Amino acid sequence: MFRRPRRITLVGLVLWVVRISVVVGVLAGSWATLSEGRLSGGAWFGLLTSGLSQGAIYALIALGYTLVYGVLFMINFAHGEVFMMGAFSGMFVAFGLASTGLLEDQPVLALLVILAAAMLTSMIVAVTVERIAYRPLRRAPRLVPLITAIGASLFLQYTAFGLFGPRVRRYPPVELLEGRIDLLGISITRIQLLTIVASLLLMIVLYYWVERTRSGRAMRAVSENKDVSALMGIDVDRVIVTTFAVGGLLAGAAGVLYAFLFNRVEFIMGVLPGIKAFTAAVLGGIGSVPGAMLGGLMIGMLENVGPQLLLLGFDVPSTNQLRDVVAFVVLVLVLVFRPTGLFGRKELI
Amino acid sequence: MVAAPREGLLRRTVTAGLVAGVVLVYLSMVGLVEAFSHRQAVTGIGAEAGPGLLTLGRVMIGGAVFLGGLILSGRLSQLAAPSAVGRLMVVGGAALSGLIAGSVLALFVLVVSVIDVRGVFLSVTPALLDYLTFDQGPALGALIILMSLGIISALAGGIRLLGLQDRGAVLKALTAALLISLLEPLLRPILGQLELADVNRFLYAGGGLTQPAAAVILGGVAAASWAWARPAAPLRQRVRDLPGEQRRMIGIGAALAAFIGLLILPQISTGFVSLVLVNVGFFLLLALGLNIVVGYAGLLDLGYVAFYAVGAYTVAVLISPSSSAGGPITELVGTAWAFWVALPIVMITAALVGIFIGAPVLRLRGDYLAIVTLGFGEIARILFGSDALRPWVGGPGGVIGLPNLQLPVVGFQFTSPSQYIYPVIAFSALAAFVAWRLANSRTGRAWNAIREDESVAAATGVNITNYKLLAFALGGTLGGLAGALFAVQLRSVYPGTFNIIVSFTVLAIIILGGMGTIRGVMVGALILVGLPEALREFGEYRFLLYGAALVAMMLLRPEGLFPSRIRRAELHEELPPEEQEQLPKSGGGGLAVSAGPISTYGPGSQPGG
Repeated sequence: MFRRPRRITLVGLVLWVVRISVVVGVLAGSWATLSEGRLSGGAWFGLLTSGLSQGAIYALIALGYTLVYGVLFMINFAHGEVFMMGAFSGMFVAFGLASTGLLEDQPVLALLVILAAAMLTSMIVAVTVERIAYRPLRRAPRLVPLITAIGASLFLQYTAFGLFGPRVRRYPPVELLEGRIDLLGISITRIQLLTIVASLLLMIVLYYWVERTRSGRAMRAVSENKDVSALMGIDVDRVIVTTFAVGGLLAGAAGVLYAFLFNRVEFIMGVLPGIKAFTAAVLGGIGSVPGAMLGGLMIGMLENVGPQLLLLGFDVPSTNQLRDVVAFVVLVLVLVFRPTGLFGRKELI
Repeated sequence: MVAAPREGLLRRTVTAGLVAGVVLVYLSMVGLVEAFSHRQAVTGIGAEAGPGLLTLGRVMIGGAVFLGGLILSGRLSQLAAPSAVGRLMVVGGAALSGLIAGSVLALFVLVVSVIDVRGVFLSVTPALLDYLTFDQGPALGALIILMSLGIISALAGGIRLLGLQDRGAVLKALTAALLISLLEPLLRPILGQLELADVNRFLYAGGGLTQPAAAVILGGVAAASWAWARPAAPLRQRVRDLPGEQRRMIGIGAALAAFIGLLILPQISTGFVSLVLVNVGFFLLLALGLNIVVGYAGLLDLGYVAFYAVGAYTVAVLISPSSSAGGPITELVGTAWAFWVALPIVMITAALVGIFIGAPVLRLRGDYLAIVTLGFGEIARILFGSDALRPWVGGPGGVIGLPNLQLPVVGFQFTSPSQYIYPVIAFSALAAFVAWRLANSRTGRAWNAIREDESVAAATGVNITNYKLLAFALGGTLGGLAGALFAVQLRSVYPGTFNIIVSFTVLAIIILGGMGTIRGVMVGALILVGLPEALREFGEYRFLLYGAALVAMMLLRPEGLFPSRIRRAELHEELPPEEQEQLPKSGGGGLAVSAGPISTYGPGSQPGG
């Protein structure tokens, strides 16, 4: 058959320029860096493990985005603040436990209590936001709940600012989490190991919940079709609340892990991880649970390895400052070239 | 609701009381009460010597309860019978809800006076407790809170029972007194500059209204409002009976008078007032630009600050002799012409950046577009502040040493905010004019069509891509213009200024005022930027206000305070439930891509699949 040649449009042209420059940039940058041997193998490995642990945290947050998007088709902009609230509440519980001495005597138990408290707080915040800000807008035009979510995000941020102050705070030191350990010849810091293991455990539990339990099945049904689900006797509102609650639980855990990993708690800490986790969810394909997990890990890795790999060779100073740019560039590229992500479905985008 | 009125009454009353109580505790815990506790609303009330007790923090608490009582009693008076018993129930209900709110706050006071929570909640200080309890200790203080809030709420219920005319008079008088008291930092210097020291002395003392002034304002405004709203008031009737043409003339005349007042204002007041106005002007320009993108074309751009940054940096690099490029334009044409020659370059650059950002994301649906533009905004901020670009734009230190703005032919130099206000006003007026003309043009109608339904717009022959790019380019141009003016006014540029919060501020302005209307944008900028700038007490809490405003507007009045007719129709086009039932249930792909009520009918997904 004769195929009519496609017309070249301005937008098409811009997109091709972007495509080509991305490929050329990646190839040239990696070649320049690797051929000069700027970093030792150990340094690359350190970047990989820190990327993996950060990625695990992004994955936990990303699951919250993807689950909510699955049932409501809405970007829960305030999810990063849910994460931040978890980190704060975990910190206060940690100080309480430290003052009673439990943190030193029973560190494992204490860590579990901290984690549980943070998860519970984040869950309550997530459910409250859903109840007050999103539920009344179920039938509003799309942009309305999104703007509400932005408002809720600002509101929560500056609520934390008012309640807890603008100062950057730290968790009390936990001896168990300091230092490095060798694992199968690999040296990794303990906190990184804990982060990776805890996140993986939570993700396994979540996967089991989505795939095997009644409420998980109800959630999948609602994301398939709300009205038919309702006709089948599923309480749609309850499923939506459950979804927010599960997302909140994961975000709370992520908050504690993040705070331990970076030793930093402040009221704006939710913004960047929130956006990066959203990027992860998009990269994996929004609405897909394994996609969010994989996407999170990938974003973590790219962010740690990417700037060094691509820019060191060009003698760019302080490549570390450009870490945050990586996630955004990935976000833009994914949305431009493969909006469905890795496992996403076309009709969701 | 009507079936069991009494039960409904009680439930509503208790709920309203609890909500109000939670709000009061929130305001106290978050530190807002404390922040406003130092300035008096009306001086010398309740204290023989020293500062009075009626400070703004307490006004905030009382005002919240008063508003709550007013809203609740409005609901109650619809439910209750129009008899004496019914009226009693309205006032009693309001009083009860006030008591409940008071008891929540009292409980809070009692609890935190026993348990020290300062380790967690920084703002819950002994000073706050003393403030809330009028220095009377927790037990007596709790009683005072309970009684006073009950009385305030009952008063609100009583006011609700007044006739429309009387109620309006009371409420307007209270609002006017509060506003004049709040705006003391602005009004006092203006009056001082006008050599009206006597008026100043009569009105203000110690940061608040004097008691005689409060009495005069309350009485005067109430009387004026009462006279105006009298059913057969000759003045109001005469204005109403005017033909449409003349009424429009009056409106235009009022607007002109306000504009002339604005032009004179910087000359008759202090630099502080001008500085507030200049800041409002920058945000007005930004909001007018974003209004084209969001309000007209319906593309939610959360990275608008990128254009502000691009404008500021472009002009800085082009005209500052101490920039890395050495200010090529200044070298070429001299300092007098530099800004004016650079300006077109800045605007073109910003427009190109708009197209560059817009081109890849045009195919994306609304919420994805929002996130991607947010990403662009952050990329811009990080890049401008990074060491990687330090050789060109100065890195974290930014660019300094921009020459003053000058009028070349006249040879006039703009130095202070009270002079910079004029170019800002001029450019804002120009931008508003352009936006106004665009709204009703062929282009504006095309944008309307795209916003309402992209597929239909495409089907009727609107070139979606070009019009969207045009919106991005025009919005970018205005943002760049605002950035350029900002840079020369400050005479330096720092990356820290171009925070994501600027984008959200601008968004809040157009949402509050009403997307798509110029009047709304102006009012939004005045309220959301002017008020917090003037009231230093706000500090960072202004962002709390923005967040609350965004949520509240979307929940209560999504079309904004001054909506455009089209927009209001769009946002209230929700179908009644029985009609929605008839919509196709599955595979609503077309619906999914459009801006319709999608959340219910979006196609399915299968997480974990």
